[in-house]
Amino acid sequence: MHRLLIASILVVALVFVALTLVIVTAKAWREIRERVRRAKRRVLEPIVLGYAHGNAASILPALGGRLATADRGVVEEILLDHVQRVRGIERERLGKALDELGYVDRYLAGLKSPRWWKRAESAENLGLAGSSRATAGLLVALEDPSYEVRLRAAKALGAIGGRAAVAPLLRALSEPNRWSTIRIADLLSQMGRPVVDELIAAFPTLNLHAKLAALDILGRVHSLDAVPWLNARLADGDADVRSRSAAALGAIGVVDSAPALRQALGDPAWPVRAMAAKSLGKIHDAEAIPLLCAALRDREWWVRANAAEALKLAGPMGIEALEGMLDDADLYAKHQACLMLEESGILDRRVAQLASSGAVRDAAESIVRSFVQAGQDGRLRELAAGHAEPKVRKALARLLPEQAEEAAR
Amino acid sequence: MGVAKRILVAEDDPVTCRFVVSLLEDKGYEVVVAEDGERAASVAVDARPDLIVSDLVMPYRDGFELLRAIRNDERIKRTPLILLSMRDREEDIVRGFEQGADDYVVKPFNAREFLARVRKLLEPRSR
Repeated sequence: MHRLLIASILVVALVFVALTLVIVTAKAWREIRERVRRAKRRVLEPIVLGYAHGNAASILPALGGRLATADRGVVEEILLDHVQRVRGIERERLGKALDELGYVDRYLAGLKSPRWWKRAESAENLGLAGSSRATAGLLVALEDPSYEVRLRAAKALGAIGGRAAVAPLLRALSEPNRWSTIRIADLLSQMGRPVVDELIAAFPTLNLHAKLAALDILGRVHSLDAVPWLNARLADGDADVRSRSAAALGAIGVVDSAPALRQALGDPAWPVRAMAAKSLGKIHDAEAIPLLCAALRDREWWVRANAAEALKLAGPMGIEALEGMLDDADLYAKHQACLMLEESGILDRRVAQLASSGAVRDAAESIVRSFVQAGQDGRLRELAAGHAEPKVRKALARLLPEQAEEAAR
Repeated sequence: MGVAKRILVAEDDPVTCRFVVSLLEDKGYEVVVAEDGERAASVAVDARPDLIVSDLVMPYRDGFELLRAIRNDERIKRTPLILLSMRDREEDIVRGFEQGADDYVVKPFNAREFLARVRKLLEPRSR
């Protein structure tokens, strides 16, 4: 019994010592490997960066003609670290080195790995490498059962760009159950001008969900080439398409779209009228001022609000038109004009002019009277109580009815 | 051959720092490095660089604070400074220029474009 106890203690002690040895050795081994890796990186990084900054056709001569197997991991780490931090020629050269040294082939093989995270990582690295050779493999990865892999493949295709990448991303827009529309739209927008022709060509084949996303993308890309086509979409049979087209034209912001947008202010659907008003504001279209004044009488609040904002953005003529609307017979138009003049600080500036003389003061008084008559005198009362200029406070006391009565008493 | 222009790079991300340093040294500039804003402020006084390239997000003192410290120090207030940042929001860029930055470069950046901006700011007539 005594011997058995001693043997058990010895076994436990031995296991403990063995485990400690394994842990210490593993830690030391890891540290040695990390030191070696850092030392290698110190040597190899300047070589890789020298290639990136230079004009050499190949990176191999700088690496001594061939890349040693032991250095492959470190060189890959250096290339991937830097390729995502730069743009332009340096990025292209680092991507080319990833291809030349065989990493792109390895990532392409990685897309077929049974492990989803390996496929996702490979897709991401292919996007960083930016090799057009990867397009076919990434297109297949768009059908991967893992959402993460599909998403990284889509992102990689967006980074690589080119016509071959646009079509599958457009198809993805039509499948909101499988894809995040916002993410795919972001990727397509980042691809810039090259997507415009493809989007326009594919538009009739897209479902409504994708059509609306496509119109948003065209607005975000700011392509002037899309303006005539978007103008024509303002006559589309679908009100959502017309409304998003109007918004895209505003985002692009060129005067070429002004006539079509002015016409859209008379659209039977209020979201189209509202977007047309907003976009006319963005392009500062002075010719639209009478129509925007009429839109202030629209029965829909959004149309009135956007028309008032557009008038404010139209400059001095727009502000004059807003002030003219203070005496309009339509109560809604009058209130909307008051609200915009107050929000934009124009009322405050007019009130300050009450301290001046002549025509300027008369005009300011007329504006203040219109606000009072419209029952929109909240801000005027605040100014009457706290304006820094005594002359202004006195003038407001005279113009505001209750305060005038109090003053009379 | 003239004396190499000296550039202070204030950057806490070692990878970006090594890239910028390699890029500038490759073009013959003398580069000094500070890995945080606090150290960059003191190196700027000691080394008197011809140009400062500073990250925006750094430990101890961010790029805006570094910029303020430099613009308030009579000895180095005229040193041109480029902010190099991942922040591409309009308000950050405007704030950078309002606080006295001479240029603002968004990361990831185009190396050749960045070098052109550096050259421009190092021209004697640029400030």
